[in-house]
Amino acid sequence: MIIGEQKPLDEIKEIIADYQNLLILGCGTCVTVCFAGGEKEVGILASTLRMATRLEGQNPALSEDCPELCRRVEGVAEGKEFMEATVQRQCEYEYNEEVVDLVREADAVLSLACGIGVQTMNEQFPETITLPGLNTSFLGQPTEQGVWDERCQACGNCTLDKTAGICPIARCSKSLLNGPCGGSRNGQCEIDPEIDCAWQLIYDRLRALGKLELMTEIQPARDWSTSRDGGPRKIVREDLRL
Amino acid sequence: MTEFEPQILAFACHYCAYAAADLTGSMRLQYPTNVKIIKLPCTGKLDVLYVLRAFERGADGAFVAG
Repeated sequence: MIIGEQKPLDEIKEIIADYQNLLILGCGTCVTVCFAGGEKEVGILASTLRMATRLEGQNPALSEDCPELCRRVEGVAEGKEFMEATVQRQCEYEYNEEVVDLVREADAVLSLACGIGVQTMNEQFPETITLPGLNTSFLGQPTEQGVWDERCQACGNCTLDKTAGICPIARCSKSLLNGPCGGSRNGQCEIDPEIDCAWQLIYDRLRALGKLELMTEIQPARDWSTSRDGGPRKIVREDLRL
Repeated sequence: MTEFEPQILAFACHYCAYAAADLTGSMRLQYPTNVKIIKLPCTGKLDVLYVLRAFERGADGAFVAG
Protein backbone atom coordinates (compact mmCIF):
# COMPACT_ATOMS: atom_id res chain seq x y z
CA MET A 1 0.00 0.00 0.00
CA ILE A 2 0.92 3.66 -0.20
CA ILE A 3 2.63 4.81 2.98
CA GLY A 4 2.31 8.43 4.01
CA GLU A 5 3.35 10.57 6.93
CA GLN A 6 1.67 13.70 8.22
CA LYS A 7 3.56 16.91 7.62
CA PRO A 8 4.84 18.75 10.71
CA LEU A 9 2.16 20.96 12.28
CA ASP A 10 4.13 24.16 11.64
CA GLU A 11 4.33 23.37 7.94
CA ILE A 12 0.60 22.62 7.80
CA LYS A 13 -0.15 25.92 9.54
CA GLU A 14 1.97 27.73 6.96
CA ILE A 15 0.25 25.93 4.08
CA ILE A 16 -3.24 26.90 5.29
CA ALA A 17 -2.32 30.39 6.51
CA ASP A 18 -4.22 32.24 3.76
CA TYR A 19 -7.48 30.35 4.14
CA GLN A 20 -10.32 30.79 6.62
CA ASN A 21 -12.73 27.93 6.03
CA LEU A 22 -10.96 24.65 5.55
CA LEU A 23 -12.24 21.19 4.86
CA ILE A 24 -9.86 18.61 6.28
CA LEU A 25 -10.45 15.61 4.08
CA GLY A 26 -9.19 12.15 4.95
CA CYS A 27 -8.98 9.03 2.84
CA GLY A 28 -10.29 5.66 3.97
CA THR A 29 -7.83 3.45 2.15
CA CYS A 30 -4.00 3.23 2.37
CA VAL A 31 -3.41 6.24 4.61
CA THR A 32 -6.05 5.04 7.06
CA VAL A 33 -4.27 1.73 7.41
CA CYS A 34 -0.91 3.44 8.00
CA PHE A 35 -2.47 5.83 10.56
CA ALA A 36 -1.59 8.97 8.62
CA GLY A 37 -4.75 10.33 7.04
CA GLY A 38 -7.88 8.45 8.03
CA GLU A 39 -10.98 9.59 9.89
CA LYS A 40 -9.22 9.53 13.24
CA GLU A 41 -6.21 11.53 12.05
CA VAL A 42 -8.59 14.07 10.48
CA GLY A 43 -10.28 14.49 13.88
CA ILE A 44 -6.99 14.84 15.72
CA LEU A 45 -5.55 17.33 13.23
CA ALA A 46 -8.73 19.42 13.15
CA SER A 47 -8.82 19.55 16.94
CA THR A 48 -5.11 20.40 17.12
CA LEU A 49 -5.45 23.18 14.54
CA ARG A 50 -8.47 24.67 16.29
CA MET A 51 -6.55 24.87 19.53
CA ALA A 52 -3.32 26.01 17.88
CA THR A 53 -4.92 28.88 15.99
CA ARG A 54 -6.83 29.95 19.09
CA LEU A 55 -3.71 29.87 21.25
CA GLU A 56 -1.61 31.79 18.75
CA GLY A 57 -4.28 34.43 18.32
CA GLN A 58 -4.47 35.09 22.02
CA ASN A 59 -0.93 34.71 23.21
CA PRO A 60 0.16 38.14 24.51
CA ALA A 61 3.76 37.04 25.00
CA LEU A 62 3.97 36.28 21.30
CA SER A 63 2.56 39.71 20.44
CA GLU A 64 5.37 41.44 22.27
CA ASP A 65 8.05 39.23 20.74
CA CYS A 66 6.95 39.56 17.16
CA PRO A 67 4.02 41.93 16.79
CA GLU A 68 4.00 41.81 13.03
CA LEU A 69 3.81 38.05 12.83
CA CYS A 70 1.26 37.94 15.57
CA ARG A 71 -1.11 40.39 13.97
CA ARG A 72 -1.09 38.22 10.91
CA VAL A 73 -1.73 35.08 12.92
CA GLU A 74 -4.44 36.78 14.93
CA GLY A 75 -6.22 37.86 11.79
CA VAL A 76 -6.12 34.37 10.46
CA ALA A 77 -6.97 32.76 13.73
CA GLU A 78 -10.16 34.65 14.26
CA GLY A 79 -13.07 32.84 12.75
CA LYS A 80 -10.93 30.17 11.19
CA GLU A 81 -13.05 27.07 10.72
CA PHE A 82 -12.17 23.47 10.17
CA MET A 83 -14.71 21.04 8.76
CA GLU A 84 -13.97 17.35 8.85
CA ALA A 85 -14.79 14.57 6.42
CA THR A 86 -13.33 11.32 5.18
CA VAL A 87 -14.09 9.58 1.90
CA GLN A 88 -13.49 5.94 1.19
CA ARG A 89 -10.99 6.51 -1.62
CA GLN A 90 -9.87 10.01 -2.52
CA CYS A 91 -8.19 8.92 -5.76
CA GLU A 92 -11.53 8.26 -7.49
CA TYR A 93 -14.11 10.86 -8.51
CA GLU A 94 -17.09 8.70 -7.50
CA TYR A 95 -16.14 8.70 -3.82
CA ASN A 96 -15.37 12.42 -3.71
CA GLU A 97 -18.85 13.24 -5.02
CA GLU A 98 -20.03 12.65 -1.46
CA VAL A 99 -18.30 15.81 -0.24
CA VAL A 100 -19.22 18.19 -3.08
CA ASP A 101 -21.27 20.42 -0.76
CA LEU A 102 -18.52 20.65 1.84
CA VAL A 103 -15.92 21.48 -0.81
CA ARG A 104 -18.13 24.32 -2.10
CA GLU A 105 -18.43 25.69 1.42
CA ALA A 106 -14.66 25.69 1.95
CA ASP A 107 -12.02 28.21 0.85
CA ALA A 108 -9.60 25.34 0.55
CA VAL A 109 -9.33 21.63 1.20
CA LEU A 110 -6.53 20.24 3.32
CA SER A 111 -6.20 16.68 2.12
CA LEU A 112 -4.77 13.91 4.27
CA ALA A 113 -4.68 11.53 1.30
CA CYS A 114 -1.59 10.60 -0.68
CA GLY A 115 -0.42 12.79 -3.53
CA ILE A 116 -2.77 10.95 -5.86
CA GLY A 117 -5.78 11.88 -3.75
CA VAL A 118 -4.65 15.52 -3.59
CA GLN A 119 -4.32 15.69 -7.36
CA THR A 120 -7.64 13.93 -7.97
CA MET A 121 -9.35 16.53 -5.77
CA ASN A 122 -7.65 19.38 -7.63
CA GLU A 123 -8.70 17.96 -11.00
CA GLN A 124 -12.24 17.24 -9.85
CA PHE A 125 -12.78 20.59 -8.11
CA PRO A 126 -10.70 23.07 -10.12
CA GLU A 127 -12.35 26.09 -8.48
CA THR A 128 -11.12 25.08 -5.02
CA ILE A 129 -7.49 24.49 -4.13
CA THR A 130 -6.70 21.22 -2.39
CA LEU A 131 -3.54 21.38 -0.28
CA PRO A 132 -1.41 18.48 0.95
CA GLY A 133 -1.31 17.62 4.65
CA LEU A 134 0.76 14.49 4.17
CA ASN A 135 4.05 13.56 2.62
CA THR A 136 3.56 10.51 0.42
CA SER A 137 6.51 8.36 1.41
CA PHE A 138 6.67 5.06 -0.46
CA LEU A 139 4.99 1.80 -1.44
CA GLY A 140 5.45 -0.49 1.46
CA GLN A 141 4.32 -2.97 4.01
CA PRO A 142 3.70 -2.83 7.75
CA THR A 143 6.43 -5.11 9.10
CA GLU A 144 5.53 -4.69 12.75
CA GLN A 145 3.19 -2.47 14.74
CA GLY A 146 4.20 1.11 13.96
CA VAL A 147 6.88 0.17 11.41
CA TRP A 148 6.59 0.35 7.62
CA ASP A 149 9.19 -0.79 5.11
CA GLU A 150 9.54 0.02 1.44
CA ARG A 151 8.82 -2.95 -0.80
CA CYS A 152 8.17 -1.68 -4.33
CA GLN A 153 9.31 1.18 -6.54
CA ALA A 154 6.67 0.63 -9.22
CA CYS A 155 9.40 0.17 -11.84
CA GLY A 156 6.87 -1.41 -14.19
CA ASN A 157 8.86 -4.58 -14.91
CA CYS A 158 8.58 -7.06 -12.05
CA THR A 159 11.40 -9.58 -11.61
CA LEU A 160 10.37 -11.06 -8.26
CA ASP A 161 10.20 -14.49 -9.91
CA LYS A 162 13.99 -14.45 -10.33
CA THR A 163 14.82 -13.08 -6.90
CA ALA A 164 12.92 -15.36 -4.55
CA GLY A 165 10.13 -12.84 -4.10
CA ILE A 166 12.42 -10.15 -2.68
CA CYS A 167 12.71 -6.97 -4.73
CA PRO A 168 16.28 -5.85 -5.43
CA ILE A 169 15.07 -2.62 -7.04
CA ALA A 170 13.29 -1.40 -3.91
CA ARG A 171 15.27 -3.15 -1.22
CA CYS A 172 18.88 -3.07 -2.45
CA SER A 173 20.22 0.44 -1.79
CA LYS A 174 21.87 0.37 -5.23
CA SER A 175 19.00 -1.42 -7.00
CA LEU A 176 21.49 -4.00 -8.23
CA LEU A 177 20.17 -6.74 -10.50
CA ASN A 178 23.25 -8.92 -10.01
CA GLY A 179 24.13 -8.73 -6.36
CA PRO A 180 25.35 -8.68 -3.75
CA CYS A 181 27.96 -5.95 -4.01
CA GLY A 182 31.15 -5.73 -1.98
CA GLY A 183 29.39 -3.58 0.59
CA SER A 184 27.34 -6.45 1.98
CA ARG A 185 28.57 -7.12 5.54
CA ASN A 186 27.14 -9.90 7.69
CA GLY A 187 23.83 -9.61 5.94
CA GLN A 188 23.65 -5.83 6.31
CA CYS A 189 24.03 -2.99 3.83
CA GLU A 190 27.05 -0.68 3.78
CA ILE A 191 24.73 2.29 3.33
CA ASP A 192 23.25 1.71 6.77
CA PRO A 193 23.86 -1.26 9.07
CA GLU A 194 20.17 -1.10 10.02
CA ILE A 195 19.23 -2.07 6.46
CA ASP A 196 19.18 -5.73 5.51
CA CYS A 197 21.21 -6.55 2.41
CA ALA A 198 18.48 -7.47 -0.10
CA TRP A 199 20.85 -9.78 -1.97
CA GLN A 200 21.72 -11.64 1.23
CA LEU A 201 17.97 -12.13 1.77
CA ILE A 202 17.60 -13.28 -1.83
CA TYR A 203 20.52 -15.72 -1.46
CA ASP A 204 19.18 -17.15 1.81
CA ARG A 205 15.69 -17.64 0.42
CA LEU A 206 16.87 -19.15 -2.87
CA ARG A 207 18.99 -21.60 -0.91
CA ALA A 208 16.04 -22.50 1.34
CA LEU A 209 13.89 -23.06 -1.77
CA GLY A 210 16.59 -25.16 -3.48
CA LYS A 211 16.82 -22.63 -6.33
CA LEU A 212 20.33 -21.31 -5.83
CA GLU A 213 21.09 -21.83 -9.52
CA LEU A 214 19.06 -18.67 -10.16
CA MET A 215 21.92 -16.70 -8.53
CA THR A 216 24.19 -17.69 -11.40
CA GLU A 217 21.87 -16.28 -14.06
CA ILE A 218 23.28 -12.97 -15.16
CA GLN A 219 20.62 -10.31 -15.55
CA PRO A 220 21.41 -8.14 -18.55
CA ALA A 221 21.29 -4.35 -18.45
CA ARG A 222 17.72 -3.48 -17.70
CA ASP A 223 15.25 -1.74 -19.94
CA TRP A 224 14.08 1.12 -17.75
CA SER A 225 11.56 2.40 -20.26
CA THR A 226 8.76 0.94 -18.10
CA SER A 227 9.96 3.04 -15.18
CA ARG A 228 10.30 6.83 -15.05
CA ASP A 229 12.50 6.88 -18.14
CA GLY A 230 9.79 8.14 -20.48
CA GLY A 231 8.05 10.61 -18.20
CA PRO A 232 4.66 10.02 -16.57
CA ARG A 233 3.29 6.58 -17.26
CA LYS A 234 -0.15 5.58 -18.46
CA ILE A 235 -2.02 2.34 -18.93
CA VAL A 236 -4.92 2.14 -21.37
CA ARG A 237 -7.04 -1.02 -21.33
CA GLU A 238 -9.14 -0.98 -24.47
CA ASP A 239 -11.16 -3.96 -23.22
CA LEU A 240 -12.35 -1.92 -20.24
CA ARG A 241 -13.06 1.39 -21.92
CA LEU A 242 -16.62 2.54 -22.45
CA MET B 1 -8.24 38.58 41.04
CA THR B 2 -9.70 35.14 41.63
CA GLU B 3 -7.37 32.25 42.02
CA PHE B 4 -7.09 29.97 39.01
CA GLU B 5 -9.03 26.77 39.52
CA PRO B 6 -8.39 24.22 36.81
CA GLN B 7 -11.33 22.32 35.39
CA ILE B 8 -10.43 18.64 35.36
CA LEU B 9 -12.29 15.95 33.45
CA ALA B 10 -11.89 12.50 34.92
CA PHE B 11 -12.41 9.60 32.56
CA ALA B 12 -13.15 6.69 34.86
CA CYS B 13 -13.55 2.99 34.19
CA HIS B 14 -16.96 1.59 35.11
CA TYR B 15 -15.45 -1.35 36.94
CA CYS B 16 -12.84 0.24 39.18
CA ALA B 17 -12.24 3.99 39.26
CA TYR B 18 -15.88 4.90 38.70
CA ALA B 19 -16.93 2.38 41.35
CA ALA B 20 -14.41 4.01 43.69
CA ALA B 21 -15.81 7.46 42.93
CA ASP B 22 -19.29 6.11 43.58
CA LEU B 23 -18.13 4.72 46.89
CA THR B 24 -16.78 8.11 47.95
CA GLY B 25 -20.33 9.37 47.54
CA SER B 26 -21.80 6.53 49.61
CA MET B 27 -19.20 7.20 52.29
CA ARG B 28 -19.99 10.93 52.22
CA LEU B 29 -16.39 11.75 51.39
CA GLN B 30 -15.72 15.11 49.75
CA TYR B 31 -13.75 15.69 46.58
CA PRO B 32 -13.19 18.97 44.72
CA THR B 33 -16.08 20.20 42.61
CA ASN B 34 -13.76 21.18 39.77
CA VAL B 35 -13.32 17.48 38.96
CA LYS B 36 -16.05 16.25 36.62
CA ILE B 37 -16.38 12.53 36.12
CA ILE B 38 -17.22 10.80 32.85
CA LYS B 39 -17.87 7.09 33.08
CA LEU B 40 -16.39 4.84 30.43
CA PRO B 41 -17.21 1.15 30.04
CA CYS B 42 -13.42 0.63 30.23
CA THR B 43 -10.49 3.04 29.93
CA GLY B 44 -9.61 1.05 26.83
CA LYS B 45 -12.54 2.95 25.31
CA LEU B 46 -10.73 6.24 25.83
CA ASP B 47 -9.81 7.82 22.53
CA VAL B 48 -7.27 10.59 22.11
CA LEU B 49 -10.09 12.52 20.43
CA TYR B 50 -12.07 12.57 23.70
CA VAL B 51 -9.16 14.23 25.45
CA LEU B 52 -8.60 16.71 22.62
CA ARG B 53 -12.30 17.61 22.58
CA ALA B 54 -12.14 18.15 26.33
CA PHE B 55 -9.27 20.61 25.93
CA GLU B 56 -10.95 22.30 22.98
CA ARG B 57 -14.04 22.91 25.09
CA GLY B 58 -12.15 24.45 27.95
CA ALA B 59 -10.95 21.66 30.23
CA ASP B 60 -7.57 22.41 31.79
CA GLY B 61 -6.66 18.83 32.47
CA ALA B 62 -7.76 15.28 31.86
CA PHE B 63 -7.51 12.53 34.42
CA VAL B 64 -7.74 8.94 33.28
CA ALA B 65 -8.34 6.28 35.87
CA GLY B 66 -8.94 2.60 35.33
